[in-house]
Amino acid sequence: MPGASRVIHMSQRSHSIWRYTGERLIAAVPVIFGLTVIVFFIMALIPGDPATAILGSYATPDNVASLNAQLGLDKPLWQQYLTWLTNLMQGDFGRSYSLNRPVIDEVLERFSATLVLAGTALIICAIMGLLAGILSAVYQYGVTDKGLTLMVLIGISTPAFWLGLLLILFFGVELRWLPVSGMYEIYGGGDLPDLLRHLVLPAATLALVATGVIARLTRGSMLEVLRQDYIRTARAKGVPERNVVLKHAFKAALVSVIPVIGIQAGFVIGGAVYVETVFQWPGIGRMLVTAIATRDILLVQGGVLVVAASYVLFNLLADVLQNLIDPRISS
Amino acid sequence: MKPIKKTVFSVISAVGLILLTAITNAATPPNVLVVGQIAEPKSLDPHAVTAVNDFRILMNVYDGLVQYKSGTLQVQPALAESWKISDDGLTYTFKLRSGIKFHDGSDLDAEAVKFNFDRMLDESHPYHNTGPFPLAFFFSAVQQVDVIDPQTVQFTLDAPFAPFLSNLAYPTGLIVSPEAVKKYGKDFGRHPVGSGPFKFAEWESNSHVIVERNDEYWGGAPALEAVVFRPITDANTRVAEMLSGGIDMMVEVPPDNLKEMAQDSSFQVHEQAGPHLWFLILNAKEGPFKDKRVRQAVNYAINKEAIVENILQGTAIVADGPTPPAFAWAHNDDLTPYPYSPEKAKALIKEAGFENAELTFYVTEGGSGMLDPVAMGTSIQADLAKVGLNVKIETYEWNTFLGKVNPGLEGKADMAEMAWMTNDPDTLPFLALRTAAWPDKGGFNSGYYSNPEVDDLLEKARTSTDQNERAELYKKMQTIVYDDAPWAFIANWKQNAVTSSTVKNFKLEPSFLLLLKGVSK
Amino acid sequence: MTVERKGERKRSHRVSFFALLLRNRLAIFGLMVLSIIVVLCLLAPLLPVTDPDKTDLAIRLQKPFTENHWLGTDHLGRDIWSRILWGTRVSLVVGISASLFAAIIGSLIGILAGYFGGRADNLMMRGIDMLMAFPYILLALAIVAVLGPGLMNALYAIAIVNIPFFARNVRGIAVTLKRREFIDAAQLSGKNNLQILFTEVLPNVLPVIVITLSTTIGWMILETAGLSFLGLGAQPPQADLGSMLGEGRKLIITAPHVSTIPGIMIFLIVMSINLLGDGIRDTLDPRLKAGALLRPASRTQTELPDQESIAGNDQGILNVNSLKTEFHTGSRIFKAVNSVDFQLYTGECLGVVGESGSGKSVTALSLLGLVASPPGKIVSGSVVFEDSDLLRISDRQLRTLRGGRISYIFQDPLVTLHPLYSVGEQLAEAILCHRFMSHHSAWKEAINLLDMVRIPNAPVRAKNYPFQLSGGMRQRVSIAMALANDPDILIADEPTTALDVTVQAEVLRLLRELIRGKDMSLIFITHDFGVIGQLCDRVVVMYAGKVVEQGSVVDVLTAPHHPYTRKLIECVPQLGNPDKKLVEIPGLPPAMDNLPDGCAFAPRCDLVQDQCRGDEIVLETLESGRKVRCRRVMEVVAR
Repeated sequence: MPGASRVIHMSQRSHSIWRYTGERLIAAVPVIFGLTVIVFFIMALIPGDPATAILGSYATPDNVASLNAQLGLDKPLWQQYLTWLTNLMQGDFGRSYSLNRPVIDEVLERFSATLVLAGTALIICAIMGLLAGILSAVYQYGVTDKGLTLMVLIGISTPAFWLGLLLILFFGVELRWLPVSGMYEIYGGGDLPDLLRHLVLPAATLALVATGVIARLTRGSMLEVLRQDYIRTARAKGVPERNVVLKHAFKAALVSVIPVIGIQAGFVIGGAVYVETVFQWPGIGRMLVTAIATRDILLVQGGVLVVAASYVLFNLLADVLQNLIDPRISS
Repeated sequence: MKPIKKTVFSVISAVGLILLTAITNAATPPNVLVVGQIAEPKSLDPHAVTAVNDFRILMNVYDGLVQYKSGTLQVQPALAESWKISDDGLTYTFKLRSGIKFHDGSDLDAEAVKFNFDRMLDESHPYHNTGPFPLAFFFSAVQQVDVIDPQTVQFTLDAPFAPFLSNLAYPTGLIVSPEAVKKYGKDFGRHPVGSGPFKFAEWESNSHVIVERNDEYWGGAPALEAVVFRPITDANTRVAEMLSGGIDMMVEVPPDNLKEMAQDSSFQVHEQAGPHLWFLILNAKEGPFKDKRVRQAVNYAINKEAIVENILQGTAIVADGPTPPAFAWAHNDDLTPYPYSPEKAKALIKEAGFENAELTFYVTEGGSGMLDPVAMGTSIQADLAKVGLNVKIETYEWNTFLGKVNPGLEGKADMAEMAWMTNDPDTLPFLALRTAAWPDKGGFNSGYYSNPEVDDLLEKARTSTDQNERAELYKKMQTIVYDDAPWAFIANWKQNAVTSSTVKNFKLEPSFLLLLKGVSK
Repeated sequence: MTVERKGERKRSHRVSFFALLLRNRLAIFGLMVLSIIVVLCLLAPLLPVTDPDKTDLAIRLQKPFTENHWLGTDHLGRDIWSRILWGTRVSLVVGISASLFAAIIGSLIGILAGYFGGRADNLMMRGIDMLMAFPYILLALAIVAVLGPGLMNALYAIAIVNIPFFARNVRGIAVTLKRREFIDAAQLSGKNNLQILFTEVLPNVLPVIVITLSTTIGWMILETAGLSFLGLGAQPPQADLGSMLGEGRKLIITAPHVSTIPGIMIFLIVMSINLLGDGIRDTLDPRLKAGALLRPASRTQTELPDQESIAGNDQGILNVNSLKTEFHTGSRIFKAVNSVDFQLYTGECLGVVGESGSGKSVTALSLLGLVASPPGKIVSGSVVFEDSDLLRISDRQLRTLRGGRISYIFQDPLVTLHPLYSVGEQLAEAILCHRFMSHHSAWKEAINLLDMVRIPNAPVRAKNYPFQLSGGMRQRVSIAMALANDPDILIADEPTTALDVTVQAEVLRLLRELIRGKDMSLIFITHDFGVIGQLCDRVVVMYAGKVVEQGSVVDVLTAPHHPYTRKLIECVPQLGNPDKKLVEIPGLPPAMDNLPDGCAFAPRCDLVQDQCRGDEIVLETLESGRKVRCRRVMEVVAR
């Protein structure tokens, strides 16, 4: 094959990444909207309705019917969905029945809280997972590897919700080192150190499983890469072993680890429900659970929309990163 | 590989550093009371909410025309200095205290009171759309509200309605500032303005609600500078916060924790029996429970003492009938709970011919006043198994559960857990025991109990304005219902709260409302 | 070489062996734990335990190790030991069924989507995307909310949530399978789609399904526990681990044992399943079977006898004496290089020739400790370069030599150049490893090097990645890299094998021109005597890890003294003589872990006699200076 025809200039490459990103974003739109349709109808299938949830013990059939009418829930389902969709197009996410406030306010507030938590957890699990994976691979079958493998195993085998409670009891109640719950102190808090203090336990709990998954994958990926001929070439060139591992092998291993980190991002956001419940973190997972329980359809819709979009974005981000590292993919 | 090790050490030491700076001693600020609530408030508009959790905040921000006398369920003057009831029981005339202002400075006068009730009840009222007002039916008897003069307001009912005053003392009867409603519209619930001992300061969603001392309060300014209500939905976390000093007060303490905290001198445990009843609805329309003997047998078969003493750790007492003893004047003290007697139960079941009957039992996972429903349900299941009734449990999350139980048990289940907290002896039997309260007629009689005599007694008691007469009628009703056993009467809950030992002058009220005006810290 | 160092090496060797054993042990440990749990659960109805649902409120919350209840009782006075046994039964059945359910449905979607592709694929994968975009717990929550609570419904929810993993993994494999020849063959043989899916595709994706299954099953059990924990699983009084944990959670402060025990049980189950799953994955994964996931050390392990004398001829710039390199896999030992001696003289070009598997490449890699190890290991000999033995110098010294005074050119630069760095970057790195200069000057130098190997438009090409270059160009880059630091010795390991004949000739010409005039020595490894003839001064012929003949190229080509050399020469096609009969050497080289006694070539030799078999045959030096390892030299020469 003639070489000249395969020259791809840098500008072309970055151009193709943008196009790829655009295509992916467009492809995600029907997925997300399909999801909202499904969610809307699933919510309708769940027994009970918002009126029952609001009225509580006073939910007689009469009261329920009149309240439903007040809330506009007596209309056919498809009409309700269309109304929602039309309002959405105009940037109106509707108003939550159970919280008496606009859905968008609540969703954004909750989502940013989850993002802080899940983001921290993701950073922790990416750093710790990659580090543990590299160390495990470098000292394969050594004491370090065995120790890390054991820790990873404990990580992926422990129910996170249970672990969270144990951490609270130990660090919060026994030692009183860290706050038990919430995101900020009510008085004298609100700054970054305060947030960090509150973040330590929930983020660690949330990161645990994902760290295990990433560490295992990184280890396997590193070991596979270290076997490659180009690593031998690097050594034959006289590249110091540290660079062989951290530069040559790690970069190649990242290519297969990054998409998994993207998928883990989805899991961390999903798995945040337990952790948010245990640590009273005002995140979107807990909001969605409550919203499902109170049949707050609009709130569920808004929440799902944001979560699904973030999932798509995280995966896209991972793909773009992967593309940037591995020029072979986008060509 | 030394550099890698170095990286690891630096990461570990960075984490350690964060932890070190993180070491903290949770302590609440002086003269500010931090209360651990069980959930985020839905709204701070007293007319828009239904949950006791929200009432706990509202009672400290708003006043009603009347209020419950401390330690009882009797009404006494509040915003209204005095009132007069016409002989036919149809008009109530209230004389308001003079010079009372809302926190926003507007006047609390007869116009304001009228505005409040019209907003709730009159669909053509310009601010009716700031609802919905789910508990407006508490005042459905009100035909119209008239302003006689700025200090006098008159309610006209379409029929005599004995619980009216009691309902006015309930949070749904609290008075909100019309000016604030006009200003905030639908968002009033997030910007509440009342006239109570504390004024609203801040609501940070999912974190806290802060109310501050109202120095101008007509009843004298409260001792506390401010109260912070923190929603902590997880009971364990709430207890952990209490243990670590993150909150000063928590309500609805899990029984097992309560026992432990009672032994700890740094905490004070408060208990107060209230008008609560935990019972099983028995489906009297079909199946074994159509037979009164089987219904009675269930009452005999369940070891209520064991449930109350062990599962609930003494945080409740055994119920003896449909009316909780907290309604002292209306409670029939002659009744004693069905004794625990499996033999008697077996005999009755045998007599009725329902040995080894299969029963479906709706259990909820939790809900307002439901205590520990799964454990209690499981224990009941085991008790019934001992007398030869095979019970299959189906558990549902609270709203689904209500969606299944409230429309009636027919064709679905034989029994269901239920609990009510009410403010008047009328409410529960009237809504859940009359023939006219069957689900298809819009009531809560999900077990289809029907006894014309009981219907009659309840109608009479509702329209009588003489408390002694009402008491007699209710007592008679209790005797009949006790024998008919449409429900299995299990427990009356003693509400509880734990405060840190620094909290002074705190007392729980039988009304389940939380009054913090006198509390100091 | 100190004694301590030796001790360390020995230990590290034993550790790796022990570790391998332990690895198996972990899977076995997992299997044992799981088996004990499963057997206990199966025996639960027969064991003398109380009824798991029998409540006794009077003895609630007994601590473990009380009479009659060695694990204590829960909040209703039920025996925890009994509930654990019955509960584990339920959890295992649910977890495993949900996994199977997800595996079947997910794999089916994956196979169909991957095999048919196009719109069906697109539609199905968008559906899968939707499933994945929904937070999994909430999806499960919603499904259970619709279906109602109960273990079966929780099972469906968990299964549905996990379908995407199988679908995605299986689809990935199915897509690659579709392009394979045997599918085409099956289509041509008239099989319909269904038959192909079941007879051709399914067997090939099965390992992936099993691997995914073994790694997700533990996760599924955790998730089932999570749902039950949220109260959506087992209905009272039935015990399952999740609901036990959920009920006990309320008591975690007052009676921690009620939740700790099911928590530990879940941990044990999931851990043992994961260990076992890893074991299964390791045995099913072909790469792992081949030992491909063992990390090669930065330098080949050596296990040299104490105080070995650096004996032998040391007149060359590089003197290799009785070099032995072995591969240890499991209990088998492959003697890849079996006591090889040769010298390389300054400025000469030494060819090393032999069939693949003759040990020539391993010999070359052994010189600078580049044989992958494990499994490789140098067990004896010396490689003397300027008075120092390369097998015994420090790692640091060795690294300085690598790519500095001694450099390599490898076969097939597509895999030997790093795919994720531009060629300029890789060249610059080679320079910076040995010379102190700015990155900028190194880059310039790299462009000069590219110019030198006659790559047109070098400044642009330097920014290209290896995959963007043609094979010939990539090999030029390799050559440039090897020459970057003006090495004294260049070791070229089959540098032209992967190239077309014309490109091969170009590259050879380039190589010859580049070394001409420089005071550089070249070791050129190839299987092709033709190339040797064009380039080399002397030649070493290797067979089965041993040198069988050595001499000047002209001499050897005109009069090969070893039957093997002779055959090799006969293999070379001659230009302009198309009528020449190309001879193939009959038979195969011997298995390196099972070498015959005596002459290793004996089984394939047409001059073989009894004397060739039996005792070791030495490499004899003839009067002409030629070295031959054959007892029938006279007969070979006579032919």
